[in-house]
Amino acid sequence: MNCEQLAALYDEYALGVLEGEERAEIEAHLARACPTCTPGVADARWVVSQLAHAAPDAQPPAALRGKIMDAARKPADPARAVAPFEKPKTSTSRSAFPAWAWAAAAALALITGYTIRQMNSQGAQLAELRKEMKLAAIQNQMLQNQLEMNRMVAMVMTSPDSVQLKLMPKDTRMPMVHAYLHPHMGVAITADQMPSMPSERTLQLWIVPKSGKPVSVAIFHPDAAGEIAMVAPVTVPKNEIAALAVTDEPAGGSPQPTTPIAWMAAVN
Amino acid sequence: MLLAVVQPWPEGKQPTDAALMERILQQDSAALETLYDRYGRPVYSLVLRIAQNPASAEEIVQDIFLQLWRSADRYQIERGPLEPWLFTMARHRALDFLRLKSEKQRRREDSDSDVLPSAVVRPDPEGDIDQARRAEKIRALLTSLPAVQRRAIELAFFEGLTHSEIAATTGEALGTVKSWIRGGLLRLRESLGEAGS
Repeated sequence: MNCEQLAALYDEYALGVLEGEERAEIEAHLARACPTCTPGVADARWVVSQLAHAAPDAQPPAALRGKIMDAARKPADPARAVAPFEKPKTSTSRSAFPAWAWAAAAALALITGYTIRQMNSQGAQLAELRKEMKLAAIQNQMLQNQLEMNRMVAMVMTSPDSVQLKLMPKDTRMPMVHAYLHPHMGVAITADQMPSMPSERTLQLWIVPKSGKPVSVAIFHPDAAGEIAMVAPVTVPKNEIAALAVTDEPAGGSPQPTTPIAWMAAVN
Repeated sequence: MLLAVVQPWPEGKQPTDAALMERILQQDSAALETLYDRYGRPVYSLVLRIAQNPASAEEIVQDIFLQLWRSADRYQIERGPLEPWLFTMARHRALDFLRLKSEKQRRREDSDSDVLPSAVVRPDPEGDIDQARRAEKIRALLTSLPAVQRRAIELAFFEGLTHSEIAATTGEALGTVKSWIRGGLLRLRESLGEAGS
């Protein structure tokens, strides 16, 4: 189907009523970021989202607001994103700011006061300290993101609904890649002892449907330790998946595989 | 003074969603409170209608707003309007709950983690901000539909059923269900067009 024909189906797709080939056609256009279908479906999602107003009005429990705010302010929540810490809130949300950062910020303030009084020429040192603090915040955020990803991987791996697949390498010197396919949470990919990759290349995971072209699922790199742990959403129903495959692609990935399959597992 | 201070809102001015999300990015929990006050009730109403269980609805709504708190950086990048994104995320979460509850394994249209704010947009959202008027139009539209057609759309939106599942549930022919839904969605579009004009 071309985009003009698919346009008549955008609203039904966004509502989730489409099945089979029609849905797969739209998803294939979305997967390749089709410049006609992508905004068309975004508009359809907007239209469909407005049906929410048809829900009978209900007052949320009074305690819910407090619960949300308490959970948001909890500093120990590992899933919390770390915000830039040049602009902390100074009143009600003080407890939302990590304690270590407050301590570091206080130390920085003291150092700055001393610097201004004693050594006006040491502005460069202050800038360096700020840079280091920014770097620490970025590193902290990366660690938290990885923790969150590991938590998701563990959830998919341990779910009784997940199907475990072993992606066998074509090159027998390469390690095996494990996949856990869950009907709702997506696919978790794990591997270790992977060789390092040049920055201009990436690994790309594909779903090979029983009919039609491969559908891109995710691009990924082994980390510095040669490990992979990631979860990606899957847009093809499990019963329509023939195989999972990994190829080596240029950085940023490719709309369709451009190199031979490097790892593959059939899905029964 | 090294540390910048989050400024209070100008008197009498309601902050935009984008401005609130900027504040959330700065860990300003008061901005999250404002967003909850703005959208908590319609989001809870939607989730409760789908989940049909107040305790679960409460849990899902809490998850949604915490997701907002955690994903402020994603919103910063995408800059889509917040209300439809919240509704879409809320619907998906609540339908997931239903599916898990009934151990139903059918895949949903796409996962909530897929749907970025920019994936739920309409051109010129600034020109279409009368939410109360839109809500009223939608309720009036659904009331005006024949009961069977309204039921088909409600089964799709609030229960996450596909064309063939709706046909099986209602005992109607698949073609009939398709034309009811298509016709209903067309009228919804027309109605929103009028509401936005």
